[in-house]
Amino acid sequence: MRSLLRALLNAIGIKEIAEAAHGQAAIDSLHERKSDLVLSDLAMKPMDGLEFTRQVRNHAHSPNPFVPIIMITGHTEKHRVEEARDAGVTEFLAKPITAHNLFSRIAEIVERPRAFVRCDGYFGPDRRRRTIDNYAGPWRRKDDFQDVDVR
Amino acid sequence: MTKNPALIAPDAYPQMMSSRDGVEAMKVLRSPHTAAKAQAAMDAAVPPMRAAILQYVDELEDVGGDMLKIFERVHEIRGFAETAGLVTTGRIADILCRYMDDMVRINKPLDTMIVTLHVAAIVRAARAEDDDLAMGEVVAGELAALVAQRLTDASR
Repeated sequence: MRSLLRALLNAIGIKEIAEAAHGQAAIDSLHERKSDLVLSDLAMKPMDGLEFTRQVRNHAHSPNPFVPIIMITGHTEKHRVEEARDAGVTEFLAKPITAHNLFSRIAEIVERPRAFVRCDGYFGPDRRRRTIDNYAGPWRRKDDFQDVDVR
Repeated sequence: MTKNPALIAPDAYPQMMSSRDGVEAMKVLRSPHTAAKAQAAMDAAVPPMRAAILQYVDELEDVGGDMLKIFERVHEIRGFAETAGLVTTGRIADILCRYMDDMVRINKPLDTMIVTLHVAAIVRAARAEDDDLAMGEVVAGELAALVAQRLTDASR
């Protein structure tokens, strides 16, 4: 899988690629070099992709908490996708991998970078994907009303 | 407790590349030349991926009744199979992964017969020349129906 990803990245002109066998090795690699993008598998041992993402986003000595992370996995069940989102991944790429799907995730990161959110229990890309102008409710949070001019 | 979550706008943290570089990157990403190179990369990946799947299939036969090891191997097969052109193998692996995942999630014991049937079908489909699509699709359809019924029963 890593060799396929390397070849696809080479196809779009990305030549400097560091590989790591698991989450801890990837963190070490992030410390050793400046990285612009991370492609991570979810199923790795001893540190899996979710823990790796949490470490990158939240650890006090993280070299780049904002680095875009594309999580690649065959686990496409809804609860697993939500778990990855809540760990702080930027994009989710389900296997089987296609060039189109990988490139569209990279394009999304380049063209539509997301705001980051810091709140209790979460630091990472804004998990709300869409902003709807003129949205008039219904509202789910009591605090939402503070910023709404209700006439 | 933080009452107001802090929102950090994209222009307030380092981006993957500048806007100007981003425009150029998009041209490369969407060019026919890139598409051709990417397709060549995908084609070149088929033989090693197929070999990797056959390796996982061998391991699948060797793990006996260890459900965790079965799940790990089947999960890997599901992820690689379609890229390797083994569509039916991937489909059957997907059915088994979803069955195992759902049963564990609702705290129900796995039916060994269901797992064994799927493993046998995966082994046969992966080793069949050109994935034996016609027969494989029939088998995959039957297994999907069986799993759907078992999950419905288990959820009651």
